[in-house]
Amino acid sequence: MPVVDIDTDELRGLTGRTDTSDAEFKEDLFGLGLEFEGETDDGLLQFEFAPDRLDRLSVEGVARSLRYHYGDDRGVYVPETNDPEWTIEVDETVPDERPYVTGAVIRGVDLDEGALESLIQLQEKLHATMGRGRAKGAIGIHDLAMIKGAPLQEGSEPSITYRGVEPDGEAFVPLDANDELTPAAVLEEHDTGRTYADLVEDLDRYPAIYDELGLFSFPPVINGKRTEVTTGSRELFVELTGTDQWTIDRMCNIVCYALSARGATIEEVEVNYADGAAAPDEYGAELVRPNFDTDEKSVTHDRIETLLGVDFESEEVVDCFERAGLDAAYTLDEDVTYEVEVPPYRVDVLHPLDLVDDVGRAYGFDELEPRYPDVGTVGGRHERSRLEDAVRTSLVGLGFEDLLNFHMTSGTENYDRMNLKPGSDVVGGGDPVEITEPYSEEYTQLRTWALPSLVMLLERNTHNAYPQDVAEVGFVAERDDAANTSVAERRHVAGAVARRDASYEAAKGRLQAVCDDFGAELETPRTEHPSFIDGRTAAVEIDGERVGVIGEVHPAVLVEHDLEVPVAAFEFDLDALR
Amino acid sequence: MWTVGEEPNRHAPSRDGDVPEPLPTSHTRMETTRMRLPERQLAVLEAASATDERTIDEIATETGLKPETVVGAAFDLRDEGLLSVVETAAETLDLTDEGRRYVDDGLPETRLHRAGLALDADESAVSMGRVIGEADLDGPAVDIALSNFARKGFGAIDAGELTVDPDAEPDADPEAAALAALADGETPEADDAVLEQLDSRGLVDRGESVTRSVTLTDDGVDALMTGVEATETVSELTPELLASGEWRDVEFSEYNVEADAPTTRGGRKHVLRRTADRVKDVLVGMGFQEMEGPHADSDFWINDCLFMPQDHPARTHWDRFALDVDPMDEIPEELIRRVESAHREGWGEDGDGYHSPWSEEFAREVALRGHTTSLSMRYLSGIAGAELDPPQRYFSVEKVYRNDTLDPTHLLEFFQIEGWVMAEDLSVRDLMGTFEEFYRQFGITDIRFKPHYNPYTEPSFELFGEHPETGEEIEIGNSGVFREEVTGPLGVDCDVMAWGLALERLAMLTTGAEDIRDLHGTLADIEFLRNAEVSY
Repeated sequence: MPVVDIDTDELRGLTGRTDTSDAEFKEDLFGLGLEFEGETDDGLLQFEFAPDRLDRLSVEGVARSLRYHYGDDRGVYVPETNDPEWTIEVDETVPDERPYVTGAVIRGVDLDEGALESLIQLQEKLHATMGRGRAKGAIGIHDLAMIKGAPLQEGSEPSITYRGVEPDGEAFVPLDANDELTPAAVLEEHDTGRTYADLVEDLDRYPAIYDELGLFSFPPVINGKRTEVTTGSRELFVELTGTDQWTIDRMCNIVCYALSARGATIEEVEVNYADGAAAPDEYGAELVRPNFDTDEKSVTHDRIETLLGVDFESEEVVDCFERAGLDAAYTLDEDVTYEVEVPPYRVDVLHPLDLVDDVGRAYGFDELEPRYPDVGTVGGRHERSRLEDAVRTSLVGLGFEDLLNFHMTSGTENYDRMNLKPGSDVVGGGDPVEITEPYSEEYTQLRTWALPSLVMLLERNTHNAYPQDVAEVGFVAERDDAANTSVAERRHVAGAVARRDASYEAAKGRLQAVCDDFGAELETPRTEHPSFIDGRTAAVEIDGERVGVIGEVHPAVLVEHDLEVPVAAFEFDLDALR
Repeated sequence: MWTVGEEPNRHAPSRDGDVPEPLPTSHTRMETTRMRLPERQLAVLEAASATDERTIDEIATETGLKPETVVGAAFDLRDEGLLSVVETAAETLDLTDEGRRYVDDGLPETRLHRAGLALDADESAVSMGRVIGEADLDGPAVDIALSNFARKGFGAIDAGELTVDPDAEPDADPEAAALAALADGETPEADDAVLEQLDSRGLVDRGESVTRSVTLTDDGVDALMTGVEATETVSELTPELLASGEWRDVEFSEYNVEADAPTTRGGRKHVLRRTADRVKDVLVGMGFQEMEGPHADSDFWINDCLFMPQDHPARTHWDRFALDVDPMDEIPEELIRRVESAHREGWGEDGDGYHSPWSEEFAREVALRGHTTSLSMRYLSGIAGAELDPPQRYFSVEKVYRNDTLDPTHLLEFFQIEGWVMAEDLSVRDLMGTFEEFYRQFGITDIRFKPHYNPYTEPSFELFGEHPETGEEIEIGNSGVFREEVTGPLGVDCDVMAWGLALERLAMLTTGAEDIRDLHGTLADIEFLRNAEVSY
C-alpha cells in the first residue's frame, strides 16, 4: 500500500491549523484512512493508505483532504489556469510503445527545501503507483528558465518537441552526471539509467524531449542536468509521457493541484500530435492541458439509502458530498437523483457506487448500526468435502495421524527421491504441472501424489517416537491436456505405517478397514512400482477399478530419507469410495 | 442356607438366607456353603480366641502379618460381625534423648551436689565456678544444674558462692528414680507431679497409645466351626475368571492408582482441519452452502471477473504462480466480452473503465488461484451449477497460493475462508451484522470496520478485532459489497457482499501456535500435532 511522508509543520501551514499537535493530526488522518506507520530518518511521519486516493500522495493533497474533513473547505475546487504560451509538438518519430505526452507550465513557484522535497516525493510516489514503475506514466519537471523554446514559425509561441532518438543519437548530460552520454550509454553507465533500462532498451528509438538547444529529457529514464529544478527555480515546465493519455493527464492534475496549493499559477500548454504520431481518437490530435474538466455522475437517493441502510434527507446527502470535496445538485422528482461533480484530481471514481462510498465516509461508517440480514437460506457442505472428512475420520480411528501437506513440491521430492520417473504409468508417475519461472527450487510443480509428502514428513520426524502412522486425504494434480485448465485435479487417500514391524499386511489391514467402512470391495492384484519392494507391491482395485497402489516402501527410498524403520504404505483415488 | 449370621456380609450374595441360584458355569464352586474370606482375614480369624482378648501385636506375631495388615483385617472382620474389637487407651511415657543422658551421667543438679560435697561446701561456701568445674558441667547444663539445685533444696547459692545442704538426699530424688525406672523399661512409681515436672524439663514424652484387642463373636465361632476357605488374590481379571464366575471368589491385588501411565497415542485429525471444521460448522449453521472448484484456474476467473486491472501490481509475475500449461479454452464467449467491456468502458451508463491494457490472452492464462474468490465468481456466473436467484449464501474454506516470503506467519499456500451473501438491497449494515455474528462464534466481539479500498468491492472494510487473549487489535478480515463491474458482467442484478480471511490466522489465535510452519506442511513436527490442544 502507498505511503506518504508528512512534515507536520508543512501540514500545519497548508491546513492553517497552526495549533494542531502531531497526535491530533495522527488521529484525524486515521479517520481519513491514513494509518501512522512510523517516522523517516529525517523525522517525517509516514502514513499508509489504500491505493484509491492517490491525490493524497503529497502533504499538499493530505492537507486538502484534512481541510474538507474539518469543514474548512466544501465542494469542488478547480484552480484558475492561464492560457497556453507553450506547445508540445509530438513528432512522428515518437516510439509507438510510448506515444502519449502531456504537460503544464507552472509560474510563480516559491520552492523552499520542504516544498522541493515534497514535489520530488510526489513525483516518485506517482511513478510507483499510477505510473506502474514509470512504465505507464513518467513525470519530468524542469526549470522553465533553462528551456529555450523553439518557435515553429517566425514570431509564433515557443515549443518543445517529443520525438524519438536513436540509442546512439544525441548525447546530453543527465542528472547526477558530469559528462555527456548518449541515451544508450545512460542505460549502461548511469545508475538511474540501469534501473529503468528494461523500460526502453528493446525500442528501436528511445523517447526524448528536445528544445531549441537539443535533448533535455530522456523519459521515462532521466532528465537532463541543464533543466534541473532547484530551490531557486521560479517557473517550471512539467511534462509527462506514457502509454495512456488519461493516466498521465490525471498524474499531471495531481502535480498541478499540489503546486497550486503552494500559491503557484497554472498555465496551460498545447499538445499537438503530428499526423504520423499515434494520437488518441478519443481525445483528438490537438489538446490543451492540464485538463481540469470535472466529471459528472448521477446516483439516486434510493441507492444511497439502501446501500448504507440509512434514511437521509436530501440536504444531508448534499452536505456529505460537499464535505467529500464533491458538488451535488438534485431534482425534486419522485425519484430523487443527484448529479454529482467530481474534481479532476480524483482517479478512483469509476462508478456512481464510488460516490455512495464517499457519502458513507463523510457520514461516518462508525455511525451505522449493524443488523443481521433478515434473509433465510439453507446451509450445507459440499459432497466432496463431506467424503474427505468421512475418510479422515476413518483413518484417524485406525490410529493414523492426519496430515496437511503442501501441494507445491519439486521434481526431486516428487519423483527422484521416490525412485520414480515422470511419465511412467504408475501411481504418481504422471507428468508434472510446472510453475512458470519458479523462484524456489523447493516449489517448482504440483505434487502428482501424496506419498512423497508423507515420506518427507517421516524424514523430518526421525527424532520422534515410533510408531508413526500418518495419513493424508489431499489434493494432487497432473498434466492433462484434455482438461480445460490442462490440469487434472484429484484427491488422493494416502497412508503410511512406520514402525519396527511395519509390513505389507499392516498396510493392507488398514486399507481393508477403510474400504469396509465405505462398503467398497477391495482386491490387491500383484503389480510393480519403483517406490516399493518387488513382490510386496499390489495394485489397489476398488469395486473392480484400478485406483491405487499398496506395498512396502523400497529400502532405497527409505535410506534416501534417512529412515531406519520399515514403512508400508498405500495411496488411492478418493473418488473410488464414493 | 448360609449359616453365618444375620449380619450383612459382603461375601454373601444374599442376606435373607436364600441360596442364590448357582450360575450354570460354576457348579463346583457354588455347591459348598462354606464361607470364603481373603487369606489374611482368615489368618486373623483363626488366631483370635472367643474367650481371651488378644492384642493386635500378639496376633501379628502369631500370624506373621504386619500389625497394620492385622488391623485392617480385624476391622473388616468386625464389619462382617465375626470379630469384636476393643480399643484401650493407655498413657505412654518415653525417655527423651536428654533424659536418657541423665540416666547415664546423673542429673546435673545431683552432679553439682556431689561436686559441692567433694569440695566441702557443706562446711563452708565454695565459689560457684569451682563447683561447676568440679562437676564438669558446661553450656546449658550449668543453668539447668543451678536452677534445679536450688529448687530441690540441695543447697544454697549466694553472692556467687555455693553451699551444700548435707542433709539433702539426691539419691532419693523421685525424678532420678522415675528416669531410672523408665530406662529399665518399668513403669515408674512416681506421682503425677513428678512426671509433669520431667515432662516440662523435656526429659520424658508423655503420650497416649491405643491398644486394640480382639475376640471372636459367636458368628465368628460358628464360621470357624463350619469351616472357612481362603480366597485367592489375583492380579488380572481374565476371561476365564469372568466365564467361570470365579471372579466372585477372588480378591484383586491393589494397584498404585496414583502412578503415571504411559500416554496412549491414537490418530488425530489435523489441528488446522479441526479449525476448518469449526468454521464450516458455524457457516453451515448460518445458512451458507459450501463451494468447490479448481485450484488451477484462468486469470479470467481469478482476476478479470473481479475487476482487477491487468496491470494491477498483484497480477504481475512476482505475485502469482503461473503454470506452464496451455491457456484455458472454454470460457463463455459472451461473458468474456462483458468482462472486457467492464474493464475497458466501465459498467452502466455512468461507468468508466480502467485506463489499463486488457488482453484476452492474459485472461486465458492458467495460474494457481491467489484467492478463492475465483470460486465465488464461478458460482455467481452460474457456470458452477444452476443460475442463482437471491437470496443465497455461499462459502468455502480452501487453499490459495501466494508468492510470499516463507516466515513464521506467511506460507506460500494457505487456507482462505471466503463467504458471500446475495440478496436484494443489502446494506453495509447487513454486512456488519453478518460479520459480527460470524466472529462472535469465535469469541471475537467488538469488531471494528475500517473503511478500505479493494478493486472489486465498494464500499470495502478491513475488519479488526481484539485478540481474545492478548487484547491486541488485529486484522481479521477484508470485506465489502461487490462492485457492479463485478456482478453486472456475471449476470447478477442484486447485491452481493463478501468477505475473506486466512484460516491460519484464526487457527493461530485459537491454538496459540507461534510458527505457522509447525502446523502446515512437511516441516510439521509430529509431536506438535499429537500434543496440539483440541479446539471445538
